[in-house]
Amino acid sequence: MARRRHTTGLILLGLVALGLALLPHGLSVYFRSFVLFLMMYVVLALSWNIISGFTGYTSFGHVAFYGIGAYACAILVADYRWPWLATLGAGAVVAALAAVAIGYPVLRLKGPYFAVAMLGTAEGIRVIATVWDGLTHGGLGISLPSAETSMSTYYAMLGLMAVTIGVAYAVGHSRFGIRLNAIREDEGAAEALGIDATRYKLAAFTLSAVFPAVAGGIQAYKVLYIDPPSVFFVQITIAMALMSMLGGKGTVIGPIVGAAVLYTAQELTWVNFPSAHLIAYGLFIIVIARFMPRGLVGFAIDRGWVRKGMVH
Amino acid sequence: MGESPDQIALDVRDLRKAFGGVRAVDGCSFAVPQGRISGLIGPNGSGKTTTFNLLTGVAAPDGGQVLYRGEDIAGLKPFQVFHKGITRTFQITRVFREMTVFENMLSVTTLDVPDRAARARAEELLALVNLTHLRAEYGGRLSYGQQKLLEFARALMTDPDLILLDEPAAGVNRTLLQHLLDHIHRLQEQGKTILIVEHDMHVIMNHCERIFVMDGGVKIAEGPPAEIQRDERVIEAYFGRRRQR
Repeated sequence: MARRRHTTGLILLGLVALGLALLPHGLSVYFRSFVLFLMMYVVLALSWNIISGFTGYTSFGHVAFYGIGAYACAILVADYRWPWLATLGAGAVVAALAAVAIGYPVLRLKGPYFAVAMLGTAEGIRVIATVWDGLTHGGLGISLPSAETSMSTYYAMLGLMAVTIGVAYAVGHSRFGIRLNAIREDEGAAEALGIDATRYKLAAFTLSAVFPAVAGGIQAYKVLYIDPPSVFFVQITIAMALMSMLGGKGTVIGPIVGAAVLYTAQELTWVNFPSAHLIAYGLFIIVIARFMPRGLVGFAIDRGWVRKGMVH
Repeated sequence: MGESPDQIALDVRDLRKAFGGVRAVDGCSFAVPQGRISGLIGPNGSGKTTTFNLLTGVAAPDGGQVLYRGEDIAGLKPFQVFHKGITRTFQITRVFREMTVFENMLSVTTLDVPDRAARARAEELLALVNLTHLRAEYGGRLSYGQQKLLEFARALMTDPDLILLDEPAAGVNRTLLQHLLDHIHRLQEQGKTILIVEHDMHVIMNHCERIFVMDGGVKIAEGPPAEIQRDERVIEAYFGRRRQR
């Protein structure tokens, strides 16, 4: 029974992957770009969820890693003539190192203190990117050599999304993930039961930093121009958090659903009610928060449509 | 002093901890015998909980030693103490509320234990405390008594040698308590060492073989239950000095 459902799920997943792989050829540039952004937000929401949903450390500064990745790509392509794909790996490494350096002190803070410290950290990095002319070209931003990149970035984002979903699934269905949950539920009790919270938190934080960095690098190569305000934009962090919460943080499917629903809703309201789209967006969030505080997946779990827990 | 070292599980020597000007534990020494059920009692504020926290790494002592198998474990972090083979439960249960009962169990084993073995152990212990039917329920939805049982079972996941129980009887009905005590005795029969902090004198006097009494941050008496019940210093600590006639 369980195995059959597993197989059905895998077949479904394969069809979606095939569809996404074939899709861009039949689409207009606008829709191709829409799907690319949607996939990017799936990546961002799933990554945010690893530290904030699974581990319970709500980060309000995760855009920092997205920005770091974008800058790594832009600097290496524009100034050092690196091949584009290689810069994604470099961005991931830089973001991982930054995550360890930031996480080691900041993860000692809890709750709102951690959230605000991360907000401050992201802003601080934005300021550094603005004033460090020698490396980042400062407030002028960086232009990348012009090229037709909408196809290559589409496939790169698709690949990244596949990897991110795979990793999120592996974490969410493992005892590593359960131990992150234990830290979220009661860090003191978790430590008393043998969990080295510092190490686990740092691992989760680093993991959650790597994928946004790669996404930032792909995005930089797609738009071919970045500057500090656009890649360290606080609204990107808010989007990660909202999508994750809307879908159901602390689950694997939740952030995926949340990103798909929220980004589509955002795009539709923006297209149809350009002047009122933020109001519509806000109303939508209020309704969700009022009636589904644990997100769409939490709503389904509470009604018994989905099984509780990550490991059965 | 008379006992040989291999009969002592945990040797606490001159343990000290102050919070500001308050000396919560002030040179406390006692030796927990191997393979027995011991009790740690004392009036409120006598330093029992602080001692427990010092033994389990929740707080670092200002001085003194905690020798476990000849190794000083004082000042280790809680997870390090746990990996020495010492586990504990909490006075007020601390089950992981938004995790299922089964996940609560699995969270304890380290990742180098194979998944299959961890699952088997979790199932076995859940069956032991009669919680198998609730394995897919959230920890927070369990009754208080069931949470106590879950916490107890969870503490046994790694097969610890020394088990510290912080007020196991608090908030538990008699039937359930009997159930818990049966488990505790069974653990002792397997050779485990158990140390209980408890206010329920019925539990302490009927189930512990050795009792340590604390007052004012020091151990004021120790011995078997019958002796402790008659000890003048203990009666004094609990009820105050008898009026001189």
